Amino acid sequence: MDIILGIRVKDSVILASSKAVTRGISVLKADDDKTRVLSDHTLMSFTGEPGDSVQFAEYIQANIQLYSIRENCELSPHAASSFIRQELAKSIRSRKPFQVNVLVGGYDTRKESPHLYQIDYLGTKVDLPYAAHGYAGFYTFSLLDHHYRPDMNTSEALKLLKMCIEELERRMPMDFKGVLVKVVDKDGVREIEDF
Amino acid sequence: MSDPSSINGGVVVAMVGKDCVAIACDLRLGSQSLGVANNFEKIFHYGHVFLGLSGLATDVTTLSEVFRYKTNLYKLKEERHIEPETFTQLVSSTLYEKRFGPYFTGPVVAGINSKTGKPYIAGFDLIGCIDEAKDFVVSGTASDQLFGMCESLYEPGLEPEDLFETISQALLNAVDRDAISGWGAAVYIITKDKVVKRYLKTRQD
Amino acid sequence: MQAIAERYSNQSALVKELQYDNEEGLSNDFVNGRSQFSHLAPHIALPPISTPQEFLRAHTDDSQNPDCKIKIAHGTTTLAFRFQGGIVVAVDSRATAGSWIASQTVKKVIEINPFLLGTLAGGAADCQYWETWLGAQCRLHELKEKERISVAAASKILSNLTYQYKGAGLSMGTMICGYTKKEGPTIYYVDSDGSRLKGDLFCVGSGQTFAYGVLDSNYRWDLTVEEALYLGKRSILAAAHRDAYSGGSVNLYHVTESGWVFHGNFDVDTLFWEIKAKEGSFNNVVG
Repeated sequence: MDIILGIRVKDSVILASSKAVTRGISVLKADDDKTRVLSDHTLMSFTGEPGDSVQFAEYIQANIQLYSIRENCELSPHAASSFIRQELAKSIRSRKPFQVNVLVGGYDTRKESPHLYQIDYLGTKVDLPYAAHGYAGFYTFSLLDHHYRPDMNTSEALKLLKMCIEELERRMPMDFKGVLVKVVDKDGVREIEDF
Repeated sequence: MSDPSSINGGVVVAMVGKDCVAIACDLRLGSQSLGVANNFEKIFHYGHVFLGLSGLATDVTTLSEVFRYKTNLYKLKEERHIEPETFTQLVSSTLYEKRFGPYFTGPVVAGINSKTGKPYIAGFDLIGCIDEAKDFVVSGTASDQLFGMCESLYEPGLEPEDLFETISQALLNAVDRDAISGWGAAVYIITKDKVVKRYLKTRQD
Repeated sequence: MQAIAERYSNQSALVKELQYDNEEGLSNDFVNGRSQFSHLAPHIALPPISTPQEFLRAHTDDSQNPDCKIKIAHGTTTLAFRFQGGIVVAVDSRATAGSWIASQTVKKVIEINPFLLGTLAGGAADCQYWETWLGAQCRLHELKEKERISVAAASKILSNLTYQYKGAGLSMGTMICGYTKKEGPTIYYVDSDGSRLKGDLFCVGSGQTFAYGVLDSNYRWDLTVEEALYLGKRSILAAAHRDAYSGGSVNLYHVTESGWVFHGNFDVDTLFWEIKAKEGSFNNVVG
């Protein structure tokens, strides 16, 4: 089970995703990037069925980029999340549904506010201050319930994220090879080196 | 527990009073045992008609958007808002269109007819069978509990303030006996010229 | 008349039932553990079919068969941890059958004796029955050995029992917590697979992960008694909030060298808003 986590704070959103790719009893890759940049200020992380997940993510990425070229205008995180939800909701009633869960983190440059959306493979979308898919939520939501404050800054949020990762490393049965951390704020998407 | 209509949990209830109607829902969205969100409202409005949708959350969102689309078109064509009775037929036929691959929701319609001033509520099964009730309708994972509460608390001809009290107590005590409902609640009290929305403070477990 | 007199004679009913001539023979055999006493152990009927465990699972396990008609009460959060000042035991009090909340006032800590506590997770009836039974075994041990039973021995009696029934469909996850002179404060985790683990910190039940989350990040060995009790209570609250199948109220216990002390029952409804206001936590919830 992959881990994807997201935290929204005062002026940024942080997305963390595990670096391991596991097939059967082997770890095939230990530096995987389970995120795609959808636009300058919108990032999506994803987990799910191998094959489906990357295919779906790049399909979404391509369509959102196509939109911004055609319309010469960046899709807001809210609009992007609605598009992704609609695609997943359509997919679930198709012959071969995408089994993909995603988090969408973005900074709305017009409203000057960060947004985090959790969307599962059924197309269930919610706006949350902190979100996770799979088992990660079972270990981290209680921690986040305890320590999260809406007025935190990015560095405080990274500290909180570190607590969550430590708990996951302590209690999860398998090694997920650490996490890749990306921050989305008014300056766009950036990676946090050696988190 | 892989039953689509009880993955996310949640309830909706509506009641008729004297020249008023009330509709209420809980705010929980879960993924089986895990509580995910406490801001998932299940009541939407199209003009002066209110629609509550319990059941599978993805279908709740999809349907709320389908009805927004359809009622907007209706408004453009007819140059007036849709009435509760008409909307009920729209809900029914929309659901039956998906007879062999249904939306897993339990819709509830509530509103006051703007022409006649008559309070109106209706409930549906997942494929569009209309249940026009003159007292109350319930739907969702705690519907058994809600039936019990409504049967014992409801009386006809309640004033708006008393109707608020009745529907709130019915909802609150029903969700407290359901593991996958609760986590907050929203109540709408609808009269001819005013709609009051209140959030209820509920147990958080 | 004779019959009535005999009934009130000094021969106890037990002596008669086991067909002894006198009390002395009985007490000798009792101390030495004669086989007749197996007669006193409970007898549990098994259904007359080839694989009772599969039968039971098919009809009661809703994770395997969602349409099963019999829903056994389950879903719980329980925790116990050792620290400088002894042991803190905290549990919730909800019992569910499917999504129906069957009770919000279940006692999930069984007071085996003044020095031993057992927690209850899994099948409510399984835990309640066998831990009460364990209490009787511990008392028998005390009478035989003229000494209080160790936590190790008590937990071993239970794990041997669960191992005997392995595969038959028992469902229990329990912590046996106690204090003895030679062991100090001790916690054993015992479950229906037959596992028996000694440790410093355990959370058991459907809400275990949420409790671990809070507990791990705030746990230290040198916690004061007050801090430890709060942490126990706070961890159960975290689980009661997020886990649908945990809730109701929190029951708190503290185990010291002079036995266990009950530290109260806290309804989650009031406790939640109180702690939210005090800590400034649970910011996802609007009041």
